[in-house]
Amino acid sequence: MTFRLEVLISGFGGQGVVLAGRALGLAAVHGGLESTMLVSHGTETRGGYVRSQVVISDEEIDSPVVEKADIFLALSQAAYDRFKHLAKNGLTLYESDLVVAKEDLTRQLAIPARKLAIEELGTELAANMIAMGQIARHLDVMPFAALQKAVAELSKRGAETNLAALGLGFNLELV
Amino acid sequence: MKTVFDTGNAAITEAAILAGLKFYSGYPITPATEIAENMSRRLPMAGGYYLQAEDETAAFHMAIGASLGGLRAMTSTSGPGYVLYADPYGWAIGSEIPVVILNAQRVGPVSGITGAPGQGEFYLSRYPTHGGNFETIVLAPDGVKEAFEMTIQAFRLSERFRTPVTILADQLVTDGWEAFQIPQDSYELEALGLPLPKRAVHWGPDFYPRSDDIDIPPVVLGRGTGGACSDWTPTEEGYDTEEIEAQMKHSYRLIYKIRNNRKLIDRSLLTGMEDDPPVVMVSYGSPSRVVRRAVKAARALGIRVGAISLKSLWPFQDDLFDQNRIHLVVELNHDGQLVREVQRASGGRVHFLGRCGELPTVTELLEIVRALFGGGRPRGIKNVREAW
Repeated sequence: MTFRLEVLISGFGGQGVVLAGRALGLAAVHGGLESTMLVSHGTETRGGYVRSQVVISDEEIDSPVVEKADIFLALSQAAYDRFKHLAKNGLTLYESDLVVAKEDLTRQLAIPARKLAIEELGTELAANMIAMGQIARHLDVMPFAALQKAVAELSKRGAETNLAALGLGFNLELV
Repeated sequence: MKTVFDTGNAAITEAAILAGLKFYSGYPITPATEIAENMSRRLPMAGGYYLQAEDETAAFHMAIGASLGGLRAMTSTSGPGYVLYADPYGWAIGSEIPVVILNAQRVGPVSGITGAPGQGEFYLSRYPTHGGNFETIVLAPDGVKEAFEMTIQAFRLSERFRTPVTILADQLVTDGWEAFQIPQDSYELEALGLPLPKRAVHWGPDFYPRSDDIDIPPVVLGRGTGGACSDWTPTEEGYDTEEIEAQMKHSYRLIYKIRNNRKLIDRSLLTGMEDDPPVVMVSYGSPSRVVRRAVKAARALGIRVGAISLKSLWPFQDDLFDQNRIHLVVELNHDGQLVREVQRASGGRVHFLGRCGELPTVTELLEIVRALFGGGRPRGIKNVREAW
């Protein structure tokens, strides 16, 4: 039985959208899977919109485009409004500090990633990793350890904080 | 083998170095900047030279100089820099100088949109310089993995044919990320079917033979070879001549060394073509991956549709096309370039889906294919036109 998993992560520049996607793609490699990622963004370095489209599969990936997201992580209102139609059949996670959700998605969960990052880890920068931990909770295609390994490798500094954030997100039960 | 998750730009850099690249010159431009950036860091570690030129014309000329000095050489750019390559392209083609060129196509014309994919240099890559009297070799990767392989193959082809080989990529190939394998030594490289012999040196005296033969070592100046070369029509020894007959023989060589040995270049991937489907989608580069997914989706619905993904663009593979099928050409421009060639080669009914800056979706490809199957013409569907 082959599978194809589509993950869409979007927010604004500086939130770590690309790093989160890279971590997921690399984790797939560590899990012995195929992965692709397309990154698109505005011309701004910070503050503009950023989107990572990640596809993970146990076979050769044809299209790298996310058309039906299994998981959609929205880190800004603009991202939520712009891409929520792609996640009609998937799970949407949205940053509760920054997004006011609409009622028309069947499966969506608010995640207080930013708030938790500040309160528990003393830095807003770890919010993306808390959200990634929560994504990993909903993935059954690779072990959590694969994502931990990827995040440790990609963290030039602050690996400890990132791994703590990842664990925090993974163990977070949202309703 | 080492498996990594990285960009096309990183894959191209590593592949070129594995292929024995010793000289890179370029001018940074989105979406190929990271090739220059990676080369500046990685190439000196591999015993090579990195040079940032004052512009693209100079960059390509420098690569030519390095190649004439006996080094494997490469340059890379995007559309706005690619047009500046016209003069050195002529040198490399006319004087049979092996060099690898990568163009990461973005949206045009002129500066267009930097960080979005386009496919506007299909014809420019066939006619990248003035004067005619030549064929070109152009390869088109559809993703990171293929960009890695094709970069190595490009070096091999450029030396076998003694001509510049162009890798016509697009922004999604160079900026896109994918898991790919990096061979760690020459044995692993050979295991991938990518052997690369040492660069040879031509010892003369007939540096420019009057034949269509390939596998003739490249001309190297100095080192006591007695080799000569210039931008004029060469005699067999490489001296300038203005004899019409010599020019005709030289042109014949530039054209037919490629045409008569094209089996070494032709490359395509056929999907869902086993039962001779009546509708066939044609594409190259990153759109071809969406097209193949659409074929899979259509087949699951019982729709008999196939796809031709072109991996080499020039010389054009006329034999793949048939006037009894309906062709839908999908490419990243609004003017339709590949579509003209498919129309010429097939002589049949050809439709065109043009997009630029973003890929089409599987959903819209299915909608168009359905319309074509209904015997209808997909008028009214955004961006679909009949070929002219």
